[in-house]
Parts: sequence; C-alpha cells; structure tokens
Amino acid sequence: MMRRLTVISLSELCQLERIESHHIIEIVENGIVKPIANTISADATDNNKKPDWEFETASVYWIKKAVRLHQDLEIDWLAVALLIDLIQQRDALQKENAFFKQQLSRFTEY
Amino acid sequence: MEFKDYYKILGVSKDADVKDIKVAYRKLARQYHPDLHPGEGGGDKFKEIAEAYEVLKDADRRAKFDELLEYGDQSSQGFQPPPGWQQNHQTSQGDPSADQDFSDFFNSIFNGGLDQSHFNGRAQPHHARGQDVETELAISLQETLHQQIKMVHYQLPVFEDGKVRQIKKQLNIKIPQGVINGERIRLKGQGKPGYGGGEPGDLYLHIHVNSHPLFDVKKHDLILTLPLAPWEAALGTKVTVPTLDGKVTLTIAANTQSGKKLRVKGKGLKRKGKLGDLYVIINVIIPPVSNDKANQLWQELAKNSAFDPRVSWGEYL
Repeated sequence: MMRRLTVISLSELCQLERIESHHIIEIVENGIVKPIANTISADATDNNKKPDWEFETASVYWIKKAVRLHQDLEIDWLAVALLIDLIQQRDALQKENAFFKQQLSRFTEY
Repeated sequence: MEFKDYYKILGVSKDADVKDIKVAYRKLARQYHPDLHPGEGGGDKFKEIAEAYEVLKDADRRAKFDELLEYGDQSSQGFQPPPGWQQNHQTSQGDPSADQDFSDFFNSIFNGGLDQSHFNGRAQPHHARGQDVETELAISLQETLHQQIKMVHYQLPVFEDGKVRQIKKQLNIKIPQGVINGERIRLKGQGKPGYGGGEPGDLYLHIHVNSHPLFDVKKHDLILTLPLAPWEAALGTKVTVPTLDGKVTLTIAANTQSGKKLRVKGKGLKRKGKLGDLYVIINVIIPPVSNDKANQLWQELAKNSAFDPRVSWGEYL
C-alpha cells in the first residue's frame, strides 16, 4: 500500500519539478498559491534565505501551470496571476453552470 | 520523417523579422495554449507552434532550418536532409534524453548541437528525474463516504533495446474519505522512470466523481429533487426519500410550493471532519395523462377556488 502525500516542500518542488525557487517565490508573492500557514515564518522575508515553505499537493497543479504560462506566453508574473484568477473564475462558473443545467433538467424532465 | 515548415506553422513569410515572428507566436500561443483551452486537443497544436518559435526566434537555428528548407527533399516519401548534411543521430542511437516535447524532425536536426537550457527550461538534461504522469480515477458518490482502496491502471513508457515501449502498471491506492471531484492525489515515485540515475517522476491521480442519477453535489451538501403530486403538495404528506447511506421519512407541510427547499441535517458528504446536509427540493408534477373522473374533480376545484396565480401581473394585462 502506498503512502499518499498531501504536502510538498519548496526544495522538493524545485528538485523534483525542476522549477527555480525564485519562480516559486514570485508565484507566492503574487498570490497565485499560498504555502501551508504554519510553514510561513519570518525567514520568508529574508532575501538571502530560501523560505521553508510547504504546499498542498493541489497547489502543484497551479504552480506548474503558472510556470508554463510565464514561459510560453512570455508574460510577467502579475499577468500570470491575473490569468490564473480568470482561469479559476472560469472553472468555477463552468462548474456552477453545469450544476444549474443539471438542476434544471431534473425540473423539466417530466 | 515528416518535414515541418516552421514558417507555415507560424503563418509568417520567409523574410519575416524576429518581431513579426514573436507577434505571430504570441497570438497563436494565446489561441492554442492547453492551459487556456483545456480539453480542446490544443496540446499538440501548441507543441508544434512552440517548436516553430524555438527555431525561428534563434538566428543560428533559423539559418540551419533555412538551409534545409532550400536543399532538403520534401517528397511524399518523407523528408530527407540534403547529402552531406551533418546530422546528429542521438535519437536513433537510443538516447532517451531526446526531448519528448519536440518532434523527431526537430530532434534530428537540432538535438545535441544546442544548449538545452534554451528550451523554456523544460528540456531533459542527460541525468534527470522522470516526468510526472497524470491519470484519471473515476469513483462513485457513495464511495466518497468512506476510505476506499482502489486499483489504478495506467501506462508508462520504458526504454528498452533502443525503443520506447508502453508497459501497463497497476497500483492499489488508498482513496481518502470525502475526496472531491477534480482533486489530485500525488503518489511519489510512480511516474515515468528517470534516466542517468535520476529518480522516477510522481503519479498524480485526478479524481473524477461520477454523477449520480438522483443526487447533485454542492460542496459538502447533497441536493435531491423530490417530485410530488399536486394533492400531496396541497394537502401535505409523509414521503420516504433515499439518502446516500439509507433512507429518511420527510413530513411535507400542506400548501408546499414547487422549488421549496427542505434540509435534512447531516445527510450530506463527509470531509475533513465536516458533515454536509441533504437538501430536498420540491417539484410539483401534474399527471401527464388524465381521465374523465380526474377532469371532473379538477373542474370542481376550479369552480370552488378563488386562487389566481397571476395576480402580480395585474398592471401588465
């Protein structure tokens, strides 16, 4: 039986996903993902030290997406953050729309 | 090997300057990037566009490509480089580090002669961890109520005798209670194998909770639409309704309207110590077929009732 992993550290992310740490710092500073609350220490603001952050596994999906958008579309991190916000809003609206359509079909199936 | 005309792919002329190439690439990237347009099969198209841009934005690579374009044989039998062309046959020698994001055509021309760090930082170095794999796992709504052990089947490419072969893998996975649609579960070291001593990648399980014939899901809550006959809604009644793990009897008050929502506490989904509720939404249904007796009763009701459902329309009529 496998152990399921729910958190991933900053250094693991850099090493495993080959994402540069300054990219992850930009992603966090632009509010695209948040590290797990109790791993945010005062050290995170010290520029000379790599923050000791840990992330929910679900954040990896958004971190990788943000890096791809930054590189492939050649856009800055603020634009990536805006884009990710809009993608998340679109996903939520699509989900809500599917839910309402399903509800409506239950009312009109008779 | 299929010849790729990178100018055609980006829709630019052969004498386009770097600025035109950049503009064409950015426009196409916005149009086809798989992160912006998921599920539209845009991934392959975008790879082709990115590959064309990698070549045409760089003066050396572009010059090399222009030479091939002019002298290469692009007949229907497949592309052949001109005689004397110095190819680097890395891929045919069986080096798995050949970049998987680019086409055979690209790899045959450029692989080995380039600084791989130019490639968006995502090209494979010679010693590297394997790529992550994402696979979908479908589970039923009932299965989210308790921790489940599920068998996951997926395919992994392995490199043997100079060829890439897909092998089938299966794993027993513990799926936690209360998993939600769209959640991703990471399984360390179960992705594509690494090479040159690199670690294997991870497996990400993308959970798909199948829709249920009766229940809809909203966060922790379940929604059930309850059909009622007009007389049940008018006179009130008791109705037994299903839940995900049993059944409950509901008391319907007299004069209950269609659309009214009744809450059954604690009969929703369980997640991280929270327990959702079941919401029952009333839907009053008129019998689709009638008979003389029923028509007579409806007419009697109509005669004796002063009810006007369109009273709020008064000023518009």
